[in-house]
Amino acid sequence: MTDATNSGAQAPKTSLIAHDARTKKRNSAEKRFRAYGVTAIGIGLFFLTVLFYSILKSGLPAFTTTVLSVEFTMTQEQYDEAEGTMLKTAKYQGFFNDGLAAQLAETGVEVEYDAKTIERIAGKTGNLIRAHYQENPNTIGSPVTFDLPTSSRVNRYINGEFTKDEVEDSRFLEAADLDLVDVMLASGTIRTVFDWNFITGKDSGVDNPGGAGIGASVIGSFFMMLVVLVLSLPIGVAASIYLEEFAPKNRWTDLIEVNISNLAAVPSIVFGILGLAVFIQFMHLPQSAPLVGGLVLTLMTLPTIIISTRASLKAVPPSIRDAALGIGASKMQAVFHHVLPLAMPGILTGTIIGLAQALGETAPLLLIGMVGFVAREYPEGFIQGFVEPNSAMPAQIYTWASRADAGFYEKAWGGIIVLLAFLLTMNIIAIILRRRFERRW
Amino acid sequence: MPILWLICAVLIIAAIGFVIGRTRAISSGQGDIRNLHSLPSYYGWNVALKSMVPAFFVLIVWLIAQPLIISSVVSSNLPETAIPEGSSAGLIMSEVQRTSNGVSAAVISGDLDSAVLADSAADLSAVTEALKNAGQIVTTELTQPIWDAALSYRSMSNAGTTAMWVVVIALAIAGAVWGLRQTNADFRARNTVETSIRYMLIAAASIAILTTVGIVLSLVFNTIEFFRLYPITHFFFGTEWAPSFSGRGGSSELGILPLLWGTLYISVVALAVAVPIGLFAAIYLSEYASKSVRSVAKPLLEVLAGIPTIVYGLFALLTVGPLLVSVFGEGGYLGVDWQGGGRAVMTAGIVMGIMLIPFVSSLSDDIINAVPQSLRDGSYGLGATQSETIKQVVLPAALPGIVGAVLLAASRAIGETMIVVLGAGAAARLSLNPFEAMTTVTAKIVSQLTGDSDFSSPEALVAFALGMTLFILTLGLNIFALYIVNKYREQYD
Amino acid sequence: MNDMRLIDRAVDMKDIKIAARDVQVYYGDNHAIKDVNVDIADKTVTAFIGPSGCGKSTFLRSLNRMNDTIDICRVEGNILLDGEDIYDKQVDPVQLRAKVGMVFQKPNPFPKSIYDNVAYGPRIHGLAKNKADLDEIVEKALRRGAIWDEVKDRLDKPGTGLSGGQQQRLCIARAVATEPEVLLMDEPCSALDPIATAQVEELIDELRENYSVVIVTHSMQQAARVSQKTAFFHLGNLVEYGETGQIFTNPVDPRTESYITGRIG
Repeated sequence: MTDATNSGAQAPKTSLIAHDARTKKRNSAEKRFRAYGVTAIGIGLFFLTVLFYSILKSGLPAFTTTVLSVEFTMTQEQYDEAEGTMLKTAKYQGFFNDGLAAQLAETGVEVEYDAKTIERIAGKTGNLIRAHYQENPNTIGSPVTFDLPTSSRVNRYINGEFTKDEVEDSRFLEAADLDLVDVMLASGTIRTVFDWNFITGKDSGVDNPGGAGIGASVIGSFFMMLVVLVLSLPIGVAASIYLEEFAPKNRWTDLIEVNISNLAAVPSIVFGILGLAVFIQFMHLPQSAPLVGGLVLTLMTLPTIIISTRASLKAVPPSIRDAALGIGASKMQAVFHHVLPLAMPGILTGTIIGLAQALGETAPLLLIGMVGFVAREYPEGFIQGFVEPNSAMPAQIYTWASRADAGFYEKAWGGIIVLLAFLLTMNIIAIILRRRFERRW
Repeated sequence: MPILWLICAVLIIAAIGFVIGRTRAISSGQGDIRNLHSLPSYYGWNVALKSMVPAFFVLIVWLIAQPLIISSVVSSNLPETAIPEGSSAGLIMSEVQRTSNGVSAAVISGDLDSAVLADSAADLSAVTEALKNAGQIVTTELTQPIWDAALSYRSMSNAGTTAMWVVVIALAIAGAVWGLRQTNADFRARNTVETSIRYMLIAAASIAILTTVGIVLSLVFNTIEFFRLYPITHFFFGTEWAPSFSGRGGSSELGILPLLWGTLYISVVALAVAVPIGLFAAIYLSEYASKSVRSVAKPLLEVLAGIPTIVYGLFALLTVGPLLVSVFGEGGYLGVDWQGGGRAVMTAGIVMGIMLIPFVSSLSDDIINAVPQSLRDGSYGLGATQSETIKQVVLPAALPGIVGAVLLAASRAIGETMIVVLGAGAAARLSLNPFEAMTTVTAKIVSQLTGDSDFSSPEALVAFALGMTLFILTLGLNIFALYIVNKYREQYD
Repeated sequence: MNDMRLIDRAVDMKDIKIAARDVQVYYGDNHAIKDVNVDIADKTVTAFIGPSGCGKSTFLRSLNRMNDTIDICRVEGNILLDGEDIYDKQVDPVQLRAKVGMVFQKPNPFPKSIYDNVAYGPRIHGLAKNKADLDEIVEKALRRGAIWDEVKDRLDKPGTGLSGGQQQRLCIARAVATEPEVLLMDEPCSALDPIATAQVEELIDELRENYSVVIVTHSMQQAARVSQKTAFFHLGNLVEYGETGQIFTNPVDPRTESYITGRIG
């Protein structure tokens, strides 16, 4: 042993200040490695940026619509005259065009156009005008501003989705019409306004992207989430309390634990198959109903809620339980009076995050028939809201994305913005809850 | 919604039982609650639970069982001749149910005279007309056997529902009376109530098992049914996927191999994107990044995990697909003509990879953080640079955990649906070109089950066999991955 | 061998290997080391003793810049290794640590084979020209770590499978394999049983022939057994520094005396 120690050769003394070649090489390897890490994070954040950029860029136009805004006054004589003729709406349209012409003349516009051009830009306006005066006869004789929606092609032109060169002359739109649109745009006769119909409206047919709104499917999602909340919160909390506080170590408990951790990783489409086979084929619950969607999503969300609830229960220190038991409370009382209230903020946070996950889930809804159903109507009442066919936000987005008319893509992106807004709100609530009530023991 | 009223009735009985039980307990303690074994409200709960729990249990079982029993009775009474060519007993039964429901609604709205119902020889065309007037969907002209079946279905349902009301309410009252009779000062009400709460907790926990059983049963039965109609060897070893659209034709080719190939190919592309990026991001965040960088970059990356898959699907379909075509497609920047359409393995794979980045990075982050600091110190103490320490000490030590994380990510990728439905295409092929459209197991489950096809045809049933394969595949991966990760955790705990 | 020690001690006055001047160490706002001046001699065992939390480990770790890995830690003053300031901007801590090796409180073999554990340092520093060369370095290091005979038949078995004392000697061999000039040992025996401790102490004594060894220890007996020089730290101050024999038999400072006689600590 001593031989070896004595033969220990001393390396030639080197200075610390001067770096040898090998150290330089190692240090540049170090820098490269660091750069890989920065690059990886950069790529991740780049993807995030691109994703949000394309969502916003393609989706924001869905929230606006262009209108032809004309102020004109209808006199009593004109009204009587129009009501007296055979083609009443055509007459109204004529008056409207006169009003438009007057307004354009006022702003000094000099473009050739005829009544057909106006019709291609704003559709048949007579109906709307007549309906207004029928409902509000007292406005006859005083100036009224009409905001009439422009056709979807004009809308897309204004949003920059195609140019004049791409327009093929047809009975819907001619390239020359767009000159007038440009002028009207410049003079403020055509302007862009917020489209409330997209928020509150219902789905339209396959050929009318302009009229499609997400409102009805928001309601569908709302009823689904109500089912999920009402079922998964109590069941999830009860299951967690049992597993965390009462469960003896036996095979049944182990089985439950294994099941929960595996269910959390089962692909969502399999839950869709479960919903189809059990709730629709076996129990004959109505297809496309938010109730069924809610049931399927409840089963999907339960593992998430159970896992987070158990974590919150575990975070309550045993001393609290001991204190309650020590003054003669039963185990059940200790849990329900002390542990559960202390764990509640954590439980709620977990539940909201579980709900947010469920809200965006699409695949199982495909199988229980929520896609393809055209949500043309709001449910009539509270109960109908659960059992009558409806769509849901992600299902509606999917439906729009798979329609042939490219006009629906914009609606799909817009729907995503609405969906993400809901998710963001829920997550912010969860974060606030956690910040507000988080306790460090 | 008469069932809602029934639920209310039971709840009211339970509430009355609660009040009486509580009062009775107090009076049995001579007005002094110190004479009671438990707090008075426990006596109330005892009564309320005894009236509610059995009643609701019977109600639920009844609601599930009744339609099944009646359906089987009615369909067994249907004559063979009532089933026309090209239809099945299942379709006829749903028509019978529709008619029966329609009749009930029409009677309520007054479009149909209830006298007609007693008359099995009624004029069917008149009845059909009346139903249509009432806004009830009646597909075709009613036939005599369907009318008869519908009438018997309706009368049995009505009888069943009446019986259910009687039984449930009787049970609720009986339970309340039972609870009340137990109520006296010495009765251990708290223990009884707590025991029943405990059973409810167990029941809630067991829902997880029920769900698994439900999944397995719904997959197994339909899969067995499928293999009776379609040879199992063709399913597992067939290299062609071409379901016929006629619905009942025997000419369908339903081989799973092209679907599995597409699934695996897309998953491999996804992992090729997610694993390096996620792993390096995790390494940087856990080993290099300052606290402030970490507190910004980590949640931002995790935003990617919170975005619903439908968003990624749309991103693939409308952004990434066209982008890839403009690079790799005909007349693209590269001048190559590799990609024909936006939907391709690459499109779905890249987007799925983006989705999985935070999944890989946060799992790896946990695992890298679990490597004890003493190992890093040991390496630094020998003069290793940080990257040498990571590459030669930290990563090898964390390897099993990272492998587990990658396996979990793979199982996610295999089970992912929306991205492939929107981004991968519908054509099943066995091809090596990643710019070609391919399809996956999940995408085909969706397409086979969302059409109007008959659920008893092999073309629809194959979806359950696909689901079974998917379930077993992901379950196996998950169990294996969790086993590895847990084993790894034990090593350093 | 312990008996000879006292005689040895008085004699050789060797070159100064490390010189610390006005060293301050801060952990965030906490001033952990205050105004420490110390000269550590070459080919000598220097022991740092003192009560828990007195800063002796912190000071040890600042000698090879291990504190760099802690974000909130800040070092002021000069620490010179062979006359060069190790906190100079141009100094690469990696190169420094190759010269100033370290052995830790808890044995921390890498989850690799015994051979790879020892070969790790030579590999990253490029000390071996070929496989045979590396084999030789590994064998030499293991012999110097006094563990060769125990492990020579199972070099490819994981280092984590050894007993605690063997693991610590493996870690020492690992540190020795990079041919350091100084070896820092942070309570190397605190996780070991008495027999293993004795083996490690014997090893430390042998290492003195080639290296300057600095050892932090809780055990005053250990300091007395293995060291020639002893420094006593208290509340971040270097209270007394001198020949081990003098510190233990005739301390100057009353605090040192209190500690040695067991009144503070």
